[in-house]
Amino acid sequence: MLWTEKYSPKNFDEVIGNVKIKDEILNWTEDWLLGKTSQCILLIGPPGIGKTTMAHLAAKEFSEYIELNASDKRSYDILKNTIGESSLSKSLYGDGLKLIILDEVDGIHGNEDRGGTRAINQIVKEGKHPIIMMANDPYSKRLQSLKPKCNTLIMRKVHTNSIVSLLKKICVKEGVEFEEHVIRNLAKRSNGDLRTAINDLEVIARGQEKITSEDLELLSSKDDIVNIFDTVRTVLKSKDPKRVRAAMRVDSEPSFILEIITENIPKEYEKVNEIQSAYEKISQADLYLGRAFNTRIYTYWKYAFELMGLGVALSKAETYKKFSRLTNSSIFPKLSKSRGNRNLEDKVAEKMGHKLHASKKVVKEQFPYMKIMFENDETAHELATYFDLADDEVKLFRSRKIKVKKSKKKPAKSSKSTTSSKKLSGESKVETSKKVDVESKVSSKKKSHSKNKTEDKTVKKSSKDTKNEKESENNSKDSQMSLFNFNK
Amino acid sequence: MNRDLDKNYIRQQLINNATQYENGDSMNAPWVEKYRPQTLDEVVGQEHTILRLKRYVKEGNMPNLMFTGPAGVGKTTTSIALAKEMLGEYWRQNFLELNASDARGIDTVRNDIKSFCRLKAVGSPFRIIFLDEVDNMTKDAQHALRREMEMYTKTSSFILSCNYSSKIIDPIQSRCAIFRFVPVKGHQIIKRLEYIAQTEGLKIDIAAIESIVYFAEGDMRRAVNILQASSSAGEEVTEESVDEVVSKAKPKDVKKIVNKALDGDFIGARELLRDVMVVQGTSGEDMVTQIYQEVSKMALDGSLNEDIYINLVESIGETDYRIREGSNPRIQLEALLTKFLINSKAD
Repeated sequence: MLWTEKYSPKNFDEVIGNVKIKDEILNWTEDWLLGKTSQCILLIGPPGIGKTTMAHLAAKEFSEYIELNASDKRSYDILKNTIGESSLSKSLYGDGLKLIILDEVDGIHGNEDRGGTRAINQIVKEGKHPIIMMANDPYSKRLQSLKPKCNTLIMRKVHTNSIVSLLKKICVKEGVEFEEHVIRNLAKRSNGDLRTAINDLEVIARGQEKITSEDLELLSSKDDIVNIFDTVRTVLKSKDPKRVRAAMRVDSEPSFILEIITENIPKEYEKVNEIQSAYEKISQADLYLGRAFNTRIYTYWKYAFELMGLGVALSKAETYKKFSRLTNSSIFPKLSKSRGNRNLEDKVAEKMGHKLHASKKVVKEQFPYMKIMFENDETAHELATYFDLADDEVKLFRSRKIKVKKSKKKPAKSSKSTTSSKKLSGESKVETSKKVDVESKVSSKKKSHSKNKTEDKTVKKSSKDTKNEKESENNSKDSQMSLFNFNK
Repeated sequence: MNRDLDKNYIRQQLINNATQYENGDSMNAPWVEKYRPQTLDEVVGQEHTILRLKRYVKEGNMPNLMFTGPAGVGKTTTSIALAKEMLGEYWRQNFLELNASDARGIDTVRNDIKSFCRLKAVGSPFRIIFLDEVDNMTKDAQHALRREMEMYTKTSSFILSCNYSSKIIDPIQSRCAIFRFVPVKGHQIIKRLEYIAQTEGLKIDIAAIESIVYFAEGDMRRAVNILQASSSAGEEVTEESVDEVVSKAKPKDVKKIVNKALDGDFIGARELLRDVMVVQGTSGEDMVTQIYQEVSKMALDGSLNEDIYINLVESIGETDYRIREGSNPRIQLEALLTKFLINSKAD
């Protein structure tokens, strides 16, 4: 029998650490047994601290339990069938309550376990069964929808001292002599992971009479899956290449790791040259990510990892002895907030790109100009018609609605009415302005232009009155201008 | 089975073309589209290229072509005009335009292009496939494309366009006659803008036009957009109204970002940068250009020390380059902001 099994707690009293959570689970179990339905429990915490143990201890109280973990396929159908059926078929013994244990819910695979998260959500929502779920990564996307529906309990790492005392107990029972510092070392390197600590102890102590510091050499530092924030903390806090490299063995997208490290650089580092140097490494890491993506040569990733990990770690002159709160990158909330708008932009850009013979990117570069063009009611209407934009799509360019119905009718039918006066005067100007242009080119002396401009402005100001006046004044303006030019 | 598929495909293609090239409502079109040159003769600038392309038209045959050059200098326009003149009356049926940056996967190459190439041209000597922004295609797709180019040489010719020919794999480059498009010259843009202004009955003075040309930097599309945006504000386009449009169209808050960073508030500057890029959706290229302009302005009016300025230019230039190579422009720009920090302490 493995020591981890042999010395696993047989009842709640033997469980080490996380006292509050222990009580919560006990109360919860009692509630169910008394016939009260209660929210399901989601236990989150690093591996090896007793999540599964607690769930199994709770299971002892129930007459039966089903457990599904990552080794089982957990697609929508399978979950629905297994759990759905188990709830229908009442147990032969006892009160018929079955506990459902879902281990590693953050590990539900997107493809293989299609719909798994959805099924769990449904079952949890129904709330008919006592369910305990376990997960490691509190930031997992799959948990986001689940968390609010459950009683989420965050389990902490087991304190080193507690581990030490447990290891000592085991040694005594196994009759192994030990040196204090060896046990302490074992406890420390386990990093709060009880299971690892016991396993490590078994490796060096089983069948031995005595363990010494030499035995520790046998143990290689473990390749466990690290939480992303542990990674970032190590990168920013440590200067030890070994530790940093080990910490970088985290199971996340490189661009995501890069983002979180980047976010926290200025929160930990204080000296300007450190921030600069760290950011330089980040910049280079991003270059390699880009090259890997463009060329599909993903071996470039190793440089990116080394640069964003060790590169950033070595950018500091000395390690800081302070506590800094690590945070998630501010771009994620920004991204989700602007998602609707970006989708709209994409949709519109695609529509317009078809007519403009351009890619979405090129079209989007023209958006600022479009916004200005859309300020004018008439142009807005024309463009909206041309691109066949719906009302909600027009909103991308202007907040006010286009007075479509009005401007639609007026210029179409009565060409002499008020709205089209602009057009009219425009047309009447065609010839004169042509002249002006030609003349101005011929006489291309800057003086004449500047004078012209001032003249125009004064006229323009006065022409803002009534629309009828406007037309006549426009004409007079033209005549004035041409006169002016003739004078030159 | 296959034939039916093809038939449907072609029908779809015809419908697409009909809507894409229809000139019926071009009165309402934005000017960039309304005044897009329709023939090779009309194309502004690129004289040498046009001359050679016309020779192809005369011969009635053309090799695979690659047009490379910056944005807004006439690559797409030239391609469509060339296709029209090359393919004659039935050009629409024998011309396929695919925008590579939108549909850039290997599937596009395998399906769309293949089913188009497989059929013989009807009414035209051959078919033309125009692939825009090929530099945005993955290398895998480019390799697939290379095979297609070899297989269908008899029935089809390719026109590929890109901003940077360095991002195109060599085998494709060697299969194409490469034409380099250059920024449109100032006097040519002036001429075109004057023509548009005349036709639209727009009052504009030469100073305003010159100002547009200055901001357009050889990009005809931008020039025409500025002109139309300026004209929509009022009857008359002046230097001031052009300035207003250009500053309105700029990404907002760049000055604030630069100043915050120079004051040593890195996190504040970074947060603002993220707002501008993520929420407002400004592209990395636009941001870096804007930062450069902002910094140059500060150097000009003396609020930034010359030595600091030149160091910043070095960093900005490097960032501009890295944005194109890297995977996340925002990260590169955040890194650039750190360069503003030390300079603030140095003075």
